[in-house]
This record gives sequence, C-alpha cells and structure tokens, in this order.
Amino acid sequence: MIQEVTDPKSKGQEEGLGFDVGGLERLREARKKLEAQVDRRSLSLYERLRSKYGRAVVPFQGKICLGCFMTVPTATLSRWNEGGDLLVCENCGRILYLL
Amino acid sequence: MPQGDMILKKRLIDFFDEAHYLPVLQSTTKSEVIEELLQPLIRSGTLRDREIVLDMLIRREQLGSTGIGKGIAIPHGRSVAVPELQVVFGRSEAGVAFDAEDGKPATLFFLIVAPPREKQNNYLPLLGKIVELVKDKKSRDRLHKASSFDEVRQLIQEVDRSG
Repeated sequence: MIQEVTDPKSKGQEEGLGFDVGGLERLREARKKLEAQVDRRSLSLYERLRSKYGRAVVPFQGKICLGCFMTVPTATLSRWNEGGDLLVCENCGRILYLL
Repeated sequence: MPQGDMILKKRLIDFFDEAHYLPVLQSTTKSEVIEELLQPLIRSGTLRDREIVLDMLIRREQLGSTGIGKGIAIPHGRSVAVPELQVVFGRSEAGVAFDAEDGKPATLFFLIVAPPREKQNNYLPLLGKIVELVKDKKSRDRLHKASSFDEVRQLIQEVDRSG
C-alpha cells in the first residue's frame, strides 16, 4: 500500500477521483511498529527481496509459489511444517505464506 | 472522456450481483460496516483469507477516509487474498460515521476489492465509474429508495446505456 501511494501515477489517480491518501505517515508509523517485531535476519531478507521483486512476500496455494508459479518441493514444506524457519521459495527466493 | 487506463472494459452492471447487495446494513461503526460488507464475499468463498482483506481495508482507511461526502463511502483496496475484482453494495438507514470531509454519515456503501494485478485492469476505472454515478443526486436518491435489487440494476443499466 505504501508503494502504491508513493507512486505518483497511482496516487494521482486516486486523488483525482476524490479520495484522500494523505495519511502516509500513519502507514509508515504502523510499518515501523511491525518492523520492530521482526528479527533482523528476516527483515534483511525481506528488504533484499523487496528491492529485487517489489513484492517480497507472496502466497502459496496448492504447493505453487504465486510469485514465480513454480512448485514448492514437498520436502521443503515438510521441513517448514516441522517448525522450520521462514518458508522460502527455492526457485525465486520469495518468502511464502499459506493461503 | 476517460483516458486510456481509466476506461472500464466491461459494463458497470457486470460487477453488481444480487448476492452482493445488502439493502439493510446493521453496523454502527466504520470497522463494523466494512466487516459486514465483506460478509457476502466470505459466504460465497470468494476471498482467500478474510483477515488479510479486512486488515488491508482498515489500513486503507488509515491512509485517508474513503468517505467521499454526501453520504457515500467507497472502501477499497487490492489484496493477494482477492482472486478477482469484486463489488458489494450496501445501504444503512441510520448512517455510519465515516470521517468524510463534510462530516455527514455514510448511508450508501460500495466496497471494492481487487487482486494486485488484473488482466483487464478495471479496478481504477470501476472506482471512477462509481464515483461518477454517485455524484449525481438523482442517482443517489434512487439508490436510497430502491425497494429491490431490480431497481438498483435498472439504474446501473441506464448508466451503462448513457455511456
């Protein structure tokens, strides 16, 4: 959402329709609070992925990464189910969450 | 005349459905009414994750109220938990405070949710078309007085015919 609002084109389009998108600082503050709850390693991974892809966290559904549309191997899912770290797509490296 | 990326590539009526029409909203607060407007999409299994969509809509309100005045609120946003562009239309007789600039409570609601990317790119044009529809007082009055979805449909079809 922050990305959309800081893009001049999409911001302009929403404002042109009469919508208020002036509360960016509130969103940024909310983001800072959330960031403080995330460990440094994960946050650093997130920022690297974000600068590479724009969207660092994508859903996976039916074992498919909805970032690159490749299958997430069963072994990866099993390791994650057993209490592993963040689930990451082995193909594109994006962080995955289950829909 | 709308410019290139603001042209709606379907008829406005194609986005409306009787199953997504809530003529008598019960909620009394902004967050409650947003949740109530999501109910038809949850019931129909349209959303991949209710909490993600609700959180997104509440955060969108933090960015700036989607109450545009004259009793209209158009809560909207994009989410990966929404597979396809959806509209829910609702009415509240009592009105719900929506932090609109004119201070008036919202009585007509158009909830619009979309995926981050869509093939036809109808999200912003749809927002634009609905804003255009509700700017007209006669249309607002008809939406308020409609006693059935058919009457809502009729109005929207007239808007489609008039281009």
